[in-house]
Amino acid sequence: MALLQLRVLTPERVVLEGGVRSLVAPAWDGRVGVLPRHAAFLSILREGPLEFLSEDGERREIRIDGGVLKVESGQAVVLADGAGEPGEARESGAAR
Amino acid sequence: MAGSRDVLRRIKSVRSTRKITRTMELVATSKLKRAMDRVAAARPYAEAAEDLVRGLNAPSLAQDHALLRQPAETKRAAVLLLTANRGFCGAFNSNLIREAQRCLAKLEEEGAETELHVAGKKGLAYFRFRGRAIASATTGIGDDPSPGDAEALVGPLRERFAAGELDTVAMVSAEFRSAMSTPPRTTDVLPVAPAPGRRSGDAFILSPSAGEIVARLLPAYVRATVYGALAENAAGEQGARRAAMKSATDNAGDILDNLTRSYNRARQAQITQEIAEIVGGAAALE
Repeated sequence: MALLQLRVLTPERVVLEGGVRSLVAPAWDGRVGVLPRHAAFLSILREGPLEFLSEDGERREIRIDGGVLKVESGQAVVLADGAGEPGEARESGAAR
Repeated sequence: MAGSRDVLRRIKSVRSTRKITRTMELVATSKLKRAMDRVAAARPYAEAAEDLVRGLNAPSLAQDHALLRQPAETKRAAVLLLTANRGFCGAFNSNLIREAQRCLAKLEEEGAETELHVAGKKGLAYFRFRGRAIASATTGIGDDPSPGDAEALVGPLRERFAAGELDTVAMVSAEFRSAMSTPPRTTDVLPVAPAPGRRSGDAFILSPSAGEIVARLLPAYVRATVYGALAENAAGEQGARRAAMKSATDNAGDILDNLTRSYNRARQAQITQEIAEIVGGAAALE
């Protein structure tokens, strides 16, 4: 099965990098799902949970503080202002 | 043995200085490692953001976006100088200060009214002493800068640029080539002028629109640029300090060698003299 290569980047670090089966991102106009082989796509993300199905089928979630999502040729890049575990306080700095 | 006692005292003092410089060298080495990791960790975001801005940029956007506006002439310019809070790092700070002065002079020569924003106590102390007006001063950024620090520095400038109060914002910071080489450089932070490259905007499904995505991205991009510079500056400072303290330690070692030599020579001369006196005295008794 083809995987989507997901990279979650914040100004400070690479939060996440790896293949995922699917991705649900908090786009500005609602949640948007991305599967492997998705068409080239650019969207604005708001603050919220970024869910994905990891390579071994496990559902995982991280929280992002808004940013931009780019999907192109099997690669999804999330440029987030900040990121952390769900429920964790906003990362200090990024977008204050 | 008056002379040799002075030499002994100097040996003691140089030895304790060497102990201090060696410790500072070790501290800088360990901080350098962390600072370099930070520089490396900041790079993927900066590269991806630049790639996106470049891909989306189009002449039509420049008219709608305040941060892309390329003023016909530069009337008001801001220079943001990043220096260290502490010294003992060789020519690191003075190189940055010199570059800032060069940058200010160049802008003024072009007829622009300049204002200077300084981060770091060293740059601040210099320009305060010289009596230059400083538009804003920041000294709270330590060894581990955050994107929040970058935002605090560049946020007000970005807003004023967007409002048309500034025509350009330049930043003077250290380029971290390696721990041994950290030359100063000037970066044009605003207006954002993406290097011409592959335009990819057309191939994408854009939601909501290229313009709005660029508007969302640009402030973050500017912030990432400044954050990257802060991170490089912090790493450069530690690298420069390590090099400076290394040569100070080596130097202290050389001085110690020389002092020890002259101490031994004085001691030997004294012994020789005492023997000569004894021999002379014995000869006189015969």
